[in-house]
Amino acid sequence: MSETSKFTEDILKSAREKAENIIRDAQTETQRASDEAKITISREAEGIVRSARADADAVKRRQISEARHRTKLREQQEKDKIMQEVLDQVQKRTAQLVEDETKYFPLLTHLIESGIHELGDKTAMIHLSKMDLGRTSVSLEHKITSTFLGRVKVEWSKEPIGGMGGAVVSSLDGKIRIVNTLDQRLEALEPRLLIEARASLFGE
Amino acid sequence: MSGIETVKVIVDAEKQAAKIIEEAVTEASAIRKRIDSLIQQQRQQMLAEAKKEAAAIAARAGEEGRLEAEQYERQAIQTLEALVVRASAKKDATVEKLVTIMMRVE
Repeated sequence: MSETSKFTEDILKSAREKAENIIRDAQTETQRASDEAKITISREAEGIVRSARADADAVKRRQISEARHRTKLREQQEKDKIMQEVLDQVQKRTAQLVEDETKYFPLLTHLIESGIHELGDKTAMIHLSKMDLGRTSVSLEHKITSTFLGRVKVEWSKEPIGGMGGAVVSSLDGKIRIVNTLDQRLEALEPRLLIEARASLFGE
Repeated sequence: MSGIETVKVIVDAEKQAAKIIEEAVTEASAIRKRIDSLIQQQRQQMLAEAKKEAAAIAARAGEEGRLEAEQYERQAIQTLEALVVRASAKKDATVEKLVTIMMRVE
């Protein structure tokens, strides 16, 4: 081989080597870019799935929570309904018991006496329901009058009050009124009655 | 070989070498372009699969949640019905107890 041929062969050999390097560099570079892209894309895809799982959990939790809320509401409505029925029954039974003088008169006496004490005046006017006005025995009037004899002058109003029973004790001018009716008592005792009813009915 | 011929041979060889390198550069550029397109294609494919999986998860969760909620409500209604039966059985006794409190002289 001549010197010239060897020289040109070297030029071409060097060019081929350089070309191979250029292509190899491009391949290495693209391979690295591909690997990095795969990692990035995988992360992105995982993020989409992870977010979907979180949303799905939230959807499930919300559905269960709504169901809980609905059932709790229904339970409360049922309980309220029973409680209201019980309170209505209590009112009816109380009205019935008022007709039984032996059970009712001790309470009526107590309501009148405590009303007079609370009024704290030297004269007290007692107001009763229409039913009680019609049947109040002389002994009841006598008992009340004698209990406060010398301390309070007790007078009995002829004008009936409304409601189931009990009494209103007022000053003579009517400016001060102690309302000790059964309706007022029922209203005042309602929070306690509700607690007792809940405990008795639902064990709460 | 004369001097001119020798120079001509060398110049030709240089031209050929330059052409080889130019072709290599072109090919390298083509490789880079191909990988960009490939990555883009791969990305679209993987994200499409992930979105499909996400949609399936959402649909499954909606159904599972609905079933669990139904199951919960069924059980709760049974419990409530039992509670109502028990409470109803105690109603009369409770009324009497409350009336006693009402009529009690304290």
